[in-house]
Amino acid sequence: MNEMKLMLVDDEPRFLETTQKLLLRKGVEAVTALSGEEALEKLRLTSVHVVILDVKMPGMDGITTLKAIKSRFPMIEVIMLTGHATVESAIEGLKSGATDYLMKPADIDEILRKASEAYANRQRLEEKIRVAQMRKLSGSPRDIIKDS
Amino acid sequence: MDQEHYSTMRKIILISMILVPVATFISILGIGYLSFTRTIEKRTVANLKGIVKAHRHMIESFLSERKSDLDFAANTHSFEELKNQDFLGIVLERLQRKSVAFSDLGIFDASGLHVAYQGPYKLTGKIYRDEEWFKTVLKNGYYISDVFSGFRNAPHFIIGVVRHGNGRTWVVRATIDTFIFNHLVESIRIGKTGEAYILNAAGILQTERRSGGGLLEKSGDSQNYPESREDIQSFILKDVAGIEYLYTTAWMKNNKWRLVVRQEKADAFSTIRTATYISILIIITGGALIVGIAFYLTDRIIHRMELLDSEKKQLNQQLIGASRLAELGEMAAGFAHEINNPLQIIKSEHSLIKMILSESVEAGKYDDPAGLTEINDSMDQIELQIGRCAAITQAILKFGRQSDPCPRDINLNELMPEILKMVEKKAGVQNISIVPDFAEIPLVIHGEPSEIQQILLNLLNNAMYAIQENPLPHEGRITIKTERVSDGFVKIEVQDNGVGISTENLKKIFSPFFTTKPVGKGTGLGLSVCYGIIQNMGGSMEVESDSHMGTKFTIRLPEAA
Repeated sequence: MNEMKLMLVDDEPRFLETTQKLLLRKGVEAVTALSGEEALEKLRLTSVHVVILDVKMPGMDGITTLKAIKSRFPMIEVIMLTGHATVESAIEGLKSGATDYLMKPADIDEILRKASEAYANRQRLEEKIRVAQMRKLSGSPRDIIKDS
Repeated sequence: MDQEHYSTMRKIILISMILVPVATFISILGIGYLSFTRTIEKRTVANLKGIVKAHRHMIESFLSERKSDLDFAANTHSFEELKNQDFLGIVLERLQRKSVAFSDLGIFDASGLHVAYQGPYKLTGKIYRDEEWFKTVLKNGYYISDVFSGFRNAPHFIIGVVRHGNGRTWVVRATIDTFIFNHLVESIRIGKTGEAYILNAAGILQTERRSGGGLLEKSGDSQNYPESREDIQSFILKDVAGIEYLYTTAWMKNNKWRLVVRQEKADAFSTIRTATYISILIIITGGALIVGIAFYLTDRIIHRMELLDSEKKQLNQQLIGASRLAELGEMAAGFAHEINNPLQIIKSEHSLIKMILSESVEAGKYDDPAGLTEINDSMDQIELQIGRCAAITQAILKFGRQSDPCPRDINLNELMPEILKMVEKKAGVQNISIVPDFAEIPLVIHGEPSEIQQILLNLLNNAMYAIQENPLPHEGRITIKTERVSDGFVKIEVQDNGVGISTENLKKIFSPFFTTKPVGKGTGLGLSVCYGIIQNMGGSMEVESDSHMGTKFTIRLPEAA
């Protein structure tokens, strides 16, 4: 099983920096992005399992970013980070495919817990996919030939 | 609207309300009065003219009858017969049988010698040749004199006729008793002051005048009569005493005598005077009534207008207040949201410090246990304060949320503790205990949770304020009770032992913008908004209060179906 890799997206550089350090100390690697555009760009280059995404950002907002991520990288789990006034948009985010949401100010442990849950979720999903493919493999060699 | 506007409006309404009816009223009354007085005047004058005419006729008949009597006597007897004193007595007796007015009878020859006389005086032998009457009789053939005293110093008038026969000319003369004549004219009485008299051409009274003026006296005012040869004329004139009279005069006896019927103007037109008084009375009372009604109605109209205007103003204020409140909520929400971002950073930094610190301690890099305890304490404090800030912003966000109400079924047993939690801290600081007394069975109502929350927070905050305001030393206590009442309603009671509400204020407690809090401390909207929400939900809100004993708000809400 791979180590969980996180991406933090927020327009506050200091928040990204500190959280990244904290995560690192907790043994979790995290990349950061200051905007939705940057996040999408970095996602193309690096492999990330879970994205912590701020709902309210200048430029490309959280929901748009989420939709873009989900359409381009469907296997990435997204957790929305929201102030209370944007709970509605957090809910909208859930509808658009976000795994969970976090309320600001969020504790580092809480962030990590939710991220881990999402990651575990993803792992389970990937596991299922793998098992299904294995069955396919062992089921009929012809199918494999057909598939390949 | 300013006061000036009202007073102008008031003036306009008042003027039109008074002028229009008063003008109509006075013109109707005036026209009626004028035509009435004209009619009365005409009728009075016509009446007097009729009287004058009738009496003139009577008098002229009387005079002509007496003359005929005399003519008859003179024609039926010769001078020789009449010369005889005794025979003359018989003739006089006969005449007197016809009219008692004949007082004597005399015969004169052409030279004016009084040949024979029958009557109360001794006049035989007197010569009348130079007397005016004698000359006139000879000239005209007959003569009816004015009243005069003559030789006998007693008022009388005479009728003389001339006869010619057997080559001689002679005159028969009779004296007519003025008292009888007087009586005839004097018997005319009209109203209180109406009287009649006869004047001769010189204005000397030929009959007695009841209002003063004896026989043969000057009438005093006849020279002022208008010069008119009209048969019967009517005019108004002041007499010597300065009293206005309505005169009606008629010429008679070949324009030698004038029959005058006069009545004091005031008396003649007394009906007009009465009508005038009545009219004045009607004008005064009617006018007062119109003015009174105008004032009353104007006051009512203006009062009503003021009321409407102030209601409008209040409504405007309410709208402004509501929109300002909404703005404030939006602003507060934005503000709270912005605070959350720095809080997030502080929290992360705090976590980082804590982590680094614990790593250092573990690695034995830190050897000041006392200092470490203090640092840890500070770190805990920072964490606590961040938590507090977060709680505040969350509360603000909840309050300022501008979402469309989406009513749903709410279990009060679940909602109430949540609400109590929100005020717990504040109550704790103010040393007020909140005593919940919730029903054990679930109480489900249909509504918007945030609205219920708003109502209860409002009531709880008010209760805490009231407790703070209570000058009597006491332990603050708020009891909050939920209960199901039999008729499909749920009851929520919030009772405090605060300062209470005066009876006067109790009436206005639900009015918008009514507040007892100092300026800037309360909007006066809280309870009115609550009231509106509860009304919309089909419930009711009541309040009971005793000064210094506390206040109890009772809310009844329909149970969810």
